Amino acid sequence: MAEQEQMPQPARSGTLKMMSRATYIREALLKNTFLVCAIVAVAAVALIFVFTMWRGWPVVQEPGLADFLGGTEFSSSLDLYGILPLVSGTLVITLGALLLGAPLAIGTAVFLSEIASPQMRRIVRPAVEMLAGVPSVVYGFFGLVIVRPIVAEMTGGMGFGTLTASLILAVMIVPTIATLTEDALGSVPPGIREASYAMGATTWQTIHKVLLPAARIGIIDATILGMGRAIGETMAVVMVAGNAPQFFKGLGEPIATITSQIVIDMSYASGTHRTALFGMAIILFLISMGLVALVRALSRLNEKRA
Amino acid sequence: MIALALVPVVATALLSGCSDGGITHQEVIVTGSTTLLPIAEVAGEMYAEGHEGTSILVSGLGSSAGIESVSKGSSDIGTSSRELKEEEFDLGLDDTPVAFDAIAVIVNPDNPVTGLTTEEVRAIFAGEITNWREVGGPDMEIGLVNRDEASGTREAFHKIVMGDSLFDRGAVVLPGTGQVRAVVAQVEGAIGYISLGFVNEEVRAIAIDGIEPSEATVVSGEYPVQRVLHFFTEGEMSDATADYIEYVLSPDVQDAIVRDAGFIPITAKEGLGG
Repeated sequence: MAEQEQMPQPARSGTLKMMSRATYIREALLKNTFLVCAIVAVAAVALIFVFTMWRGWPVVQEPGLADFLGGTEFSSSLDLYGILPLVSGTLVITLGALLLGAPLAIGTAVFLSEIASPQMRRIVRPAVEMLAGVPSVVYGFFGLVIVRPIVAEMTGGMGFGTLTASLILAVMIVPTIATLTEDALGSVPPGIREASYAMGATTWQTIHKVLLPAARIGIIDATILGMGRAIGETMAVVMVAGNAPQFFKGLGEPIATITSQIVIDMSYASGTHRTALFGMAIILFLISMGLVALVRALSRLNEKRA
Repeated sequence: MIALALVPVVATALLSGCSDGGITHQEVIVTGSTTLLPIAEVAGEMYAEGHEGTSILVSGLGSSAGIESVSKGSSDIGTSSRELKEEEFDLGLDDTPVAFDAIAVIVNPDNPVTGLTTEEVRAIFAGEITNWREVGGPDMEIGLVNRDEASGTREAFHKIVMGDSLFDRGAVVLPGTGQVRAVVAQVEGAIGYISLGFVNEEVRAIAIDGIEPSEATVVSGEYPVQRVLHFFTEGEMSDATADYIEYVLSPDVQDAIVRDAGFIPITAKEGLGG
């Protein structure tokens, strides 16, 4: 701040002496272009939010907030729009994905940042990054054809449901969590690592007692962002979850999530049903806003400590 | 083949255009059943290709919307995948059946059960029967595969088989015919339902009340899980409307488009002498 004040203010129109008119125009044009980019990004979020609220708000009158948030049956043909089973389905599947995916991703990140040789890193890192690039319908198809029969063997039933969906989502969130965790580990000051080794600690002791605690908040951040991805994922879930809007009955029993119900219903929904779908979109919006807020709060905490 | 067949049609259209002293633009508005959408739409496109100056505008808003729209005069043809309800009888609509649709109940080929009664099918889909043992099969859990609530097939199945019973809420819900068939093909204990036209060798369609589903048993009316798809019109039709309906009933459309869409041609009935 102090540095900026001492610097001479850039010349504005009128007092322009140092720049040719053409340069000035080019600079102004560029500056405004980037400003427009930023405004578009913000406006897009704001517009989507306003539109979703506008279309979903009537849910308060019809079917009514209590029936919407607290209802235990979701069936458009019966005019029942209780989203409790869908919310619980979303949470159960997401929790499963985190339990399976987060350790895998954090382990991968530790391996990449602390253990792997440069050659090894050159193979593993692109592989992990490629996981993020695979289209979600491919994950869904893989889940349907390969994972579902295996789960069916394990749990009985048809293999649609929580376990299959969580397994697929666990793989899908690995790149998000692993990349961000690797960043967090990489930003631990090298002196701490060297000090630990200098005191005679082994690699495992250094990772476990020094590095992971030091990068803790970054890792939690990474996990929360991975959670956001798991909650929002739709296509793959539709293909393997079984989409029965019922409460969790077992790992191998069909279950539905908010996103899968929206995508199945949106092609034909009208009236109250459509309103309810927008209402569900509001819930998703609020959840992801909450997650982003949590991440921001944690990073602020991290900055303060550092 | 189709292109060749269209040549005389195009020629006739051009000639008649000349005699009228120029081509006038005509529209046929078709509204209604989403089940009938593929037939009405593809036939409409092909018809319009052969009849310059005529456009067939097709939209799918549901059978009830189609019936209401044609009775109010806002469309020329109302398509419906169901019969008229009692309160719709006095609307004075003319009915042209255009296709049969049968719903086959399918199981895995490894499942030894070959037939069920309508009541057993109802109880299975309502979740009252959960093991194949209860219907004379092996001791194996029944895997229920249902369609999503947007599906016209689900609606028809519900109306014909389920009556007042509700579908078991724990059934796996899949958003497409192809997915239902693929899952039933993979899972030994699974049961589902799809349009008869989509049954292939990967799955087995079972007999209902002792009647095997086939074109013959559907056309004769013996197979119970079936319905007729209708075009409804009101009063005097415009030339273009009458001509389009005639085209839909022609062998070109019935044998190709109707079958491709998974339905049974309405003309099959005449073939059996019924």
